[in-house]
Amino acid sequence: MKSDPESADIEAPLLDPIVKTTKDFYVTVAILMAFIAWGAWAYLYQFRHGLGVTGLNQPVSWGFYVTNFVFFIGISHAGTLISAILRICKAEWRRPITRMAEVITVMVLAIGAGNILVDLGRPDRLLNVFWYGRYQSPLLWDATSISAYFTASTVYLWLPLIPDIAILRDKVTRWHWFYRFLAIGWQGTPKQKRALNRGITVMSIIVIPIAVSVHTVVSFVFSMTLQPMWHSTIFGPYFVVGAIFSGIAALIIAMLIIRRIYRLEHYLKPVHFHHLGTLLLVMTLVWTYFTFAEYLTGFYGSEPEEMKVFWAKFNGPYAPYFWSMVLCNFVIPIALLSYRQTAIIARTLGASISICVGMWLERFIIVVPTLANPRLPYGAGSYIPTWVEWGETAGCFALFILFYVLFTKVFPIISIWEIREGREGLEEMNARARDYLPDGMISEDLTAARRSAALRKGTAL
Amino acid sequence: MTNQPAVGKIKTEESRLLVFLQYFLPISFTIAMAGIIIWIISLIWLSRKLHDTPSASVGISIVAIPVFGILLWVFWYVFLGIIRNRPEDEEGA
Repeated sequence: MKSDPESADIEAPLLDPIVKTTKDFYVTVAILMAFIAWGAWAYLYQFRHGLGVTGLNQPVSWGFYVTNFVFFIGISHAGTLISAILRICKAEWRRPITRMAEVITVMVLAIGAGNILVDLGRPDRLLNVFWYGRYQSPLLWDATSISAYFTASTVYLWLPLIPDIAILRDKVTRWHWFYRFLAIGWQGTPKQKRALNRGITVMSIIVIPIAVSVHTVVSFVFSMTLQPMWHSTIFGPYFVVGAIFSGIAALIIAMLIIRRIYRLEHYLKPVHFHHLGTLLLVMTLVWTYFTFAEYLTGFYGSEPEEMKVFWAKFNGPYAPYFWSMVLCNFVIPIALLSYRQTAIIARTLGASISICVGMWLERFIIVVPTLANPRLPYGAGSYIPTWVEWGETAGCFALFILFYVLFTKVFPIISIWEIREGREGLEEMNARARDYLPDGMISEDLTAARRSAALRKGTAL
Repeated sequence: MTNQPAVGKIKTEESRLLVFLQYFLPISFTIAMAGIIIWIISLIWLSRKLHDTPSASVGISIVAIPVFGILLWVFWYVFLGIIRNRPEDEEGA
């Protein structure tokens, strides 16, 4: 991949976050560390005093931590499905977005799994999964699929990063040995490119079924039980749809923040938000369809235990959360995304924030009301989270943002080599576009066709 | 001019050390993947020992083990494809 003075100027904003550190960076890190410290203090308090300091009880033994786990695992679908699917489809507009999406995936998977560790109370109990795991349990299917997804996502993040690490090795003086080590001798020779492109292609293909399996298996943790409003065959695809939905929203928020802070308006253009906004609108409708089907099925069956949970959500103690979820996941996104001729970025951001809040509420609405109204003859329960759970939730979100910020300081958050490849591959793109259209539709083809027809007839053009 | 051979020798030794260290990446990854595969196999063995429906363990391992195997293969393929096809002068520009 060529680098000339002109492209060096264009690419300078992509390297600026790495070579320059502003005061804002330190302020941001300090604020995030404060929230992380709150979360760490909350966890230490819980570790010392036990899970009794949380709002968890019988029968509501799952609360914020499991909600956060499902939420974060859901967001991880951003990376895979945006990056992998768009790469396979050769959608050119993906180029500035893929790295951001892939980083989200790796970070949130680690944090999501960490929530389960917190939920255990005694972290040494995690060892039981390794020593005495039983594959009859969906929890172990979860452990296996998340391990596979985390590994695949890490490899999928690292492979396209190699050429950019080589660029940093050659251009940046800081951490030279580190970049030289990770670049593993990349020089962009034809054989190296072939090996890398093949690896990326295989990973793009394999990571999609792994990602689908992860959130399907997460849903099985609920649907394989006999609990009312959990034991549903639709949960697998419902969770996958919700994951893609929240993943796209989280990616849009990350893109907008990065665009603003690092002044990347030339790379993250309104057209990117337009396309992602369209995907988001489609997913809003798909999610609404699945939600409608899920609740209508339960309502029409009118099983007594199911109806207790149903009415608890519709007009009972969980009604505010349920209807807020509907507002955030359906009403607001439809209102903002249906008409995007003006203020496209603001509308997409508004819808994305609303969806992230709504999808967190959706996870909460799935987890807690069912446990509070169990099938077995316990009394109905309730769940009120304490400062410990709020602290650990805030700490998780802050940790994710901190990891992301630190990544942007070490590696380019927009893929430099893929942007160069896109710029240099315009002819190839043109040729591909011609292939899609019927022969004779391109004006140069028409002109050439008319010229050869005129020559055959011996007439003027 | 009399220093150049010494500098060239240092650079070659440094490059060899770097390549040696770089091989730790795929080796560490192999150890991690091998650990996961051994864990899955141990769960199958445990379920057979306890007569605890080993078919579930076997069924899942038929899918899970090849996935980890493919990830390992991709890692090594790309790593060797890059490190073996680098030009002599690694630093380049």
